[in-house]
Amino acid sequence: MKTVLKMATAVAALAFSAHAAFAGPEVVSGPGADPACFAPWSKETKYFKWDAKPGPYKVAVVNGFVGNTWRIQMIKTAKAYAEDPSVKDKIGEFKVVSTGTDAPAQLGAIEDFINQGYDAIVTIAVSPEGFDRVIRLADKNNVVVVPFDNVLDTDKVMQINEDQLEMGRTWATFLLNELKAAGKTSGKILEVRGLPGNSVDRDRSIGIHEVLDASGGSWEVVQVVGNWDDGTAQKVTADAIAVHGHFDAIAAQGGTTGVVQAMLDANHPMVPISGESENGYRKLVAEHSADGLKGISIGQSPGLVAIAMKAAISALEGNTMPQLISVPLPVADYTTLKDGVNYWTDLPDNFFTVNEFPPCGVNISGPAIMSQTEADVK
Amino acid sequence: MRVFRLKRWVMQNVGFATALLLLFVLLITYNMMHPRGFSSAVAIQNSNEAVAIIFVAMAQTLPVLLGGLDLSVGAIMTLTNCIASEVVNGSPAQMLFGAVLTLLSGSAFGLLNGCIVVYGRIQPIIATLATGAVAIGLALAVRPKPGGNVDDDLSWALTNSVYDLADTYGFADGGDAWWIRPFADIPVPILIVAIVALVVWLPFKRSVTGRTVYAIGSAEGAAYMSGLPINRAKITAFTLGGFLAACGGLYLAIQTSSGNADIQQAGAYTLNSIAAVVLGGTSLLGGSGGAIGSLVGAMILRVISFFFRILDIDPLLQPLIEGFVLLTAVSVGAFRTLRVKNKLDLFR
Repeated sequence: MKTVLKMATAVAALAFSAHAAFAGPEVVSGPGADPACFAPWSKETKYFKWDAKPGPYKVAVVNGFVGNTWRIQMIKTAKAYAEDPSVKDKIGEFKVVSTGTDAPAQLGAIEDFINQGYDAIVTIAVSPEGFDRVIRLADKNNVVVVPFDNVLDTDKVMQINEDQLEMGRTWATFLLNELKAAGKTSGKILEVRGLPGNSVDRDRSIGIHEVLDASGGSWEVVQVVGNWDDGTAQKVTADAIAVHGHFDAIAAQGGTTGVVQAMLDANHPMVPISGESENGYRKLVAEHSADGLKGISIGQSPGLVAIAMKAAISALEGNTMPQLISVPLPVADYTTLKDGVNYWTDLPDNFFTVNEFPPCGVNISGPAIMSQTEADVK
Repeated sequence: MRVFRLKRWVMQNVGFATALLLLFVLLITYNMMHPRGFSSAVAIQNSNEAVAIIFVAMAQTLPVLLGGLDLSVGAIMTLTNCIASEVVNGSPAQMLFGAVLTLLSGSAFGLLNGCIVVYGRIQPIIATLATGAVAIGLALAVRPKPGGNVDDDLSWALTNSVYDLADTYGFADGGDAWWIRPFADIPVPILIVAIVALVVWLPFKRSVTGRTVYAIGSAEGAAYMSGLPINRAKITAFTLGGFLAACGGLYLAIQTSSGNADIQQAGAYTLNSIAAVVLGGTSLLGGSGGAIGSLVGAMILRVISFFFRILDIDPLLQPLIEGFVLLTAVSVGAFRTLRVKNKLDLFR
């Protein structure tokens, strides 16, 4: 009897929802809530406002690929943040699933959580396209879907990312300043790129070249593909050094520990370098900066997941939110590196140092969660 | 009398019967635990997620029945997905033409596989490893970046219930006509799979060519000596495999309104299709099983991962648990080894 009732309710609910008009967020004018944390991407960014819902909320994280340090750190951060005192009371139920690189499975998982009555779904999309159906369903059911890191090619959902173009620009500006300080206004720069065909790789490279071209100096840029992977980056850097002999600076996008290792192996003089936020890279910069390895380190932080969760909750509370949120770049260079603060000599090389975002109240440091056991973060 | 026939059917199809039972138990449990269990919305979601892998698993079944493996099914799905994302839009006639073109290109690729295996005399596993790479290359050429615009209404109508289909295209009084009420809550994807299974697979299985496929898998030499059309059967099997993989690719394009030449996804689908075939009771040695079993196997594969969304399981332990459940499920199918009267039976 109970089942019959349940079915009847479900059918009625379905019939009702089928006739309900398109809901979803209302497009409003800014400014949004908490602009220090939820900064709009640009002046043209529009603002969304959902009807306020009473908490506590049911929140799910639908990850795609799992199996590298970044993703594991991301999942652990999500779990730790859900237990953070600032949001703990607002989250009633919290689930994390990984679907692998399988679009139907990821779409299915999101739809399943919508069916289960979840209020917000945070996701790293496996593909920039193909989410039209779940977005439509989410809008119908007033569910907030928040893609971050790998975002979607649409302006119908609230999304969160770091500005990759700006990251490239910051790297190149730093290198130019360091070279200028050393009295160089022209020379040869090695650019170690990321995964080909990926928009992040494209945007970072465009940013680097924009600044170099605008500087007016004659820079010869040698490009190699390092796939954001230490092993690959080390090999291609070693090859490039063998062929070209000397570079005045190195602009790497990732796998930076490997890049520096290749320089050390080849006895290449220590030159200014830009790179990601790997712990190993920061260790090497701290160790060799006096010899000339003047480095800047900016990272795509696994802590983005926490900001996405915070943004989802803020949207559910009825706050006005930017459609595209730009998270401030976590920058550190050789002058600001400090052991135990933004890198850790006693921790492995392959983990990502930037995890916290003080303007957002996200204060979960990478090592704190990576060194804990699974049981501790629950 | 009827009980006896049922018993005989179960004994003859022990793998398939176990798979069916397992799926039934898993689905009932899942729906009972789901807050909106046994509703049309859950059925729609479940079936949408399963269609692509079901078609790819059905495609994999044919080469496996021959005693081989097809490593290109996932790649063909990806290729046809990309083709469909280019051609399935415009007027209804154009969309229909696009869909037919997509299915034909998949079939043509399957035909190519078959010809290489038969006339090139290359082992299917090696031949399709190469052609799979070719398919991915073509997919990347067709669609270097994810995207495309498959008709939105078509996407919405075919990934929902019959009611929404009627509502979108305004037939049967927008889904309110009395005669459509009994079917209104059935998900369209289930109908699509059922139609392909009934209209394509079952007639094929009963034809001489279809029975020859089984005969080749059992004993190719004997099939040859009996005068069965060996080459025709092999080529047809691969072509039909290509067609079924293209059904998966076409549906994926409709479901996501786009195409994506995702290499990792293609690989994952190929491997999962083999797992689904085995789960569905088809022998990897060839000669026994069928595409309906693979359909069930593919659904089992999917339902296992559904449980992670309703149970509280540590996200980093999920792949491990999924692996163990899969291993257990496959082992259940191997229980027949405990019942054999003669050790020689095991070599069959």
